[in-house]
Formats: sequence, structure tokens, C-alpha cells
Amino acid sequence: MNQPSDSILGDPLSIAVLPASTQVKPGPSDFRLSRLHRLADRWSHLLFLGCSLLVVALIAGILVFLSSKGLAAFLPLSGNTGRTLGFSEVFLSADWAPSNDHYGILPFIGGSLTVTGLALLLAAPTGILTGVFIAKLAPSWMRTLMRQVMDLLVGIPSVVYGIFGLTVMLPVISRTWLKDAPASGFAVSAMILAVMIVPTIVSLSTDAFESLPQNLDEGAQALGASRWQAIASVLIPAAGPRLITAAVLGLGRAIGEAMAVQMVIGNNPQWIALMRESTDRAPFLRALFTPAATLTTELVQELPNTPAGSTWNNVLFAMGLMLYLLTMLLILATRRLGRGAEA
Amino acid sequence: MQTRPVLRSSTTAKVVDRLMLGLLWTLALGFIAVLLLFVGAILKQGWPVLNLGFLTRMPETLEAGGGIKPQLFNSIYLVVLSLGLSLPVGLGAGIYMSEYAGRGRALRFFRLCIETLAATPSIVLALFGMILFVQTMGWSFSIRSGALTLALLNIPVITRVTELSLLAVPRDLKEASYGLGATKLQTILKVSLPYAATGILTGLVLTAGRAFGESAILVFTAGTNVSAQFPDFRWTVPGETLSVHLWYVTSDGTLPDAREIAAGTAAVMILALLILNLLVRFLDRAIRRRTR
Repeated sequence: MNQPSDSILGDPLSIAVLPASTQVKPGPSDFRLSRLHRLADRWSHLLFLGCSLLVVALIAGILVFLSSKGLAAFLPLSGNTGRTLGFSEVFLSADWAPSNDHYGILPFIGGSLTVTGLALLLAAPTGILTGVFIAKLAPSWMRTLMRQVMDLLVGIPSVVYGIFGLTVMLPVISRTWLKDAPASGFAVSAMILAVMIVPTIVSLSTDAFESLPQNLDEGAQALGASRWQAIASVLIPAAGPRLITAAVLGLGRAIGEAMAVQMVIGNNPQWIALMRESTDRAPFLRALFTPAATLTTELVQELPNTPAGSTWNNVLFAMGLMLYLLTMLLILATRRLGRGAEA
Repeated sequence: MQTRPVLRSSTTAKVVDRLMLGLLWTLALGFIAVLLLFVGAILKQGWPVLNLGFLTRMPETLEAGGGIKPQLFNSIYLVVLSLGLSLPVGLGAGIYMSEYAGRGRALRFFRLCIETLAATPSIVLALFGMILFVQTMGWSFSIRSGALTLALLNIPVITRVTELSLLAVPRDLKEASYGLGATKLQTILKVSLPYAATGILTGLVLTAGRAFGESAILVFTAGTNVSAQFPDFRWTVPGETLSVHLWYVTSDGTLPDAREIAAGTAAVMILALLILNLLVRFLDRAIRRRTR
């Protein structure tokens, strides 16, 4: 585009002082302004607004529908054939035996927290370091390659991760380290989850490092810092809040993942008791390789088999409601972190 | 930020620097190795099973030797249906957020909602779809319950990609359109959207990939059975997809050749993913060639 015509278009005032001969003639164009066009223009934004409001309605709708089932466990709502439970016998009890009318969901909360924590422990440091590597150190071919690797890792379906865990990781680990004892449990679940959430953490932390001002890096190196010193003492602290946001979003993905974990964790609601009682193995091996369960895996495992409206069914929906509220909380937390980064 | 002098240049610092840089390279190469190991293992396991017969036979329920024809069909059918349902909504919301919502509180609120929906675990969307479509509407496990719930997964991604692609449209292009007397709607439809189309298309392909691989949602809304007819376009029949099939045969355990079927299905899914990925890179290159 040549310069003069560009500046005329950019500045509406200059059109008024142009000599008449240079003004654009309204030729036959696509842009004829009929009454219809004006009407369409005036009302179309309502259509677009409607689409946006539909998203808001969906967020609210999910909350309402999940609550209608999930809260039925605790409140005497209509259509509820089950027993009304107290909060403490659900949230503060580790006794999950629905056939005996015990509905303590602590094992699942504990399982979710453990597996997510372990996954984050593996994925956050490696993801952030890979992010800094891509943003600041890698040659451009390596940068492109790493982006493609992460794109592929994030695109692999969770059931395929699950089948890899089930048919490759579990047998290999069982054979090499556990003397053929089953390997399902927190360790393999966390490893698979870590690979699943690492692309999120890598891509967000790469963005965080790339958006840092160039002179931070240069300033540190001009003061005599090695490249690693510049990264560890200047770049990582400067990107801090955004790196935490990356980790929080990774955590959100990990805690909500259902199928991959369900395929390798062993699905044992009584894992706390089993871990305490079995004394044939070293404590840390027991902690990592005892079949366990999480909020999501228990939903996948039991929801299809429970009648709608029963206490059992309602408690499962309450677990889903918990996951949803947790998602909202995490998103709000990233907002607060983001505001901290701007200030 | 720093209270102690950390920037000492010494031999130790140089050694640490070398070590850490080496570690970073190892880490990055490690991820490449993980991917290669992963894709390699899945393809190696599935390769002996993969043949035309596997793709074109009906599945067996109790005997060995079943195929995955209806599941493959359902996967594609559900992806197309769910994209068709979510595209108008996603486009509309994306247009509103980039062109009409301004830069204030409204935009922040809508973005918060989109982010929340994007971050909602698919098992939670599954529960919602199960309550609303399967139970309340009485549609049971069916293609329509599945497609509608799957659309919830697509909407935030399409919205986000539409918004970003529209924000990348150069200002002078839009101003030229206004200068010619076009209304805002005409500018969006005839200038901005065509310019953003390739970006939106890339997002659509990525969304299709995600929907293709989704399983948690469909287990609870489309079910784990397939219609006896083929092809069955009715939206009231159950529609087990490839990813659900993969999960179901390994957890159910009635099939004698569940292992082989699962391995073959996983290989088909990985191949489909690789093809989609090539498509995305091709589209991406098209965008870059135009903007250069």
C-alpha cells in the first residue's frame, strides 16, 4: 500500500479538505445502503449478543442442573427417593460403602488432591523450564519443533493416554520394579496426567517469558550474569504471577481429567484402609502403587449403575458439583493473579 | 526484587550455567522422546490389527474378530453434528466480543464466562448433558444428547478463536470499508470475516480433533451401544464413538480380543490425529503466506 492514500484513509478530517476531483466516486460497489442494510445493521448485534448471553446462560444452567441433583443429597427436594444426608457424614467421613448406606467421600477428595498434586509436582517445574528454554534459549528450528511436539501431546485423546498407561506403563513398571505386583495407583496416574497437562503449562509459560521486556534479560547479562543466572534470578521471578497462572490452569485440567486416570488408577474406594493395612511393602511403594480412586474416576465407575434419585446417585452428582465449583474458583484465582501481574 | 547479590561471575557459576543449559536441552529432548515413544508404541500395537476389514466390519459383542465400522461412522457424524451446532453460537459470541463488547466490563465478564466454560472438566459437562438431555428431556443415550453436550465442549474454543482472528484483522482494512460507506454489519460480513476465515478454520479443525477424541461426555450422553443398522443417521439411536469404544472394550471385558480391538482403535485415532495436525499446519502456512 502506498503511503499517501494510507494517510488519507487513516485521518477522517483530511477528506474534507481534499479537492473535489480527488474524492472517491461512489461507484457500483457491494456496499449499497438500502433501508434493509440499515435495519440489519441495527438489529444484528442483538443476535451476536444473544450468542454471548447463551454462553452465560450455559454457565448458570450447568450450576442449576448440577445443584438440583447434587444438593438433593443434603436437602429434602422433590423427586428425591433417597435419604437426606448431613454434610459431615459426606465430606468428613472416609467410609464409602453405599450398599451399607455410608457415603463418606473423603477417599475421593484425597485421591484427587494426591494425584493432581503429584502430577503438578512433575509437570510444573519441567513445563516452566521448557517454557523458558523455548522462549529464550532454543534455536528457531528447535522452537518450531517443540511447539509441534506440544501441539501433538495436547491433541492426543485421554483414552489413548489411558490405553498407553494400561498396556505399556503398568506391565513394564510391574515387571521391572514391583516383582510383578500390580502397578496401578497414584504413580502411573500422575505420570500420565503430567504428560497431559505439560503442554498447557509450557505454552502459557512460553508466552509469559516472551512477553517480558527484552532489556531485563540483556540488563542481567550486561551485569555479568550467566544465562542461567539471568533466567533463575531475573526472568523467572519477573514472570512469577503468570507462571503461577500457568500452573493453576494445569491443575484445573488435571483435577478434571476422568478417563485416562480411570483406566490406570485401579478404582478402589477403600484405598486408605488398604494402604494402611498392607505391610508387605515399603511405605512409599505402598503410597504410590496401591489401587485408589478420585472424584472423577468414581463418577465414571459408578454413575451408570446407580438409579436416578437415589441417595447414592445424588452424592455422585454432589461430587460433580464440587468439581464445577472448584473450576470456577480456579478461574477466579487466575483472574486475581492476572491483576497482580498488571499492577 | 533481589536483596542479595546473586550475579557473581565465577567458575562455579560457569559450571552451573553449563549444567543447567544441558539440563534444559535434555528436558526438551525428553519430551520429544516421550511423544515418539508414545506414538510409536500405540502404532506398533495397533499395526497388526489394522486392515480394511477392521475398519469396515460390524463389531462383535461376544466373539473375536469384530470391526469398528459403526463407531468410526458415529465419531465423524457426532463431530460434524456438534460442530454444526456450536459454530453459529461460537461465531456469534466471538463477533460480539471482538466487535461490539467494547473494552470494558462487559468484555471482561464474557471472557470470564468463556474461560470458565473452557476450563469446565468434560465429566462435569457430561453430568449436565445427562441430567438435561438424557433424563429431563427423556432422549436417553442418543446421538442428539451426545451432539448437544459435545457442542458445549466446542463453543468456548470456537468463540475464542473467532475473537482472536477478528482482533487480528488490520484496522486500515476495516476503516477503508467504513470509508466506502459500509455499515458495521457489512464490514464484519464482507471484510473482517473473510480475512479471519483461515484462522477460524484452523480453530475449527483443532476443535474437531478435540471432539473426535472426547470420551467422558459421550459415555454419559451417547452411550456405549451402536445401532444394528448401517449407516444410521437417526438422531434418536445410541451412538458409541471410537474413543468410547476404546474405553468400553478395555473396561467391560466380555470380548476375547478386547486387547487387539483397543490397540487397533487407538492406532486409528492416532492416525486421524496426525492427519488433522498436518491439516492445521497446512492452514497455518496459508495464513502466514498471506500476511507476509
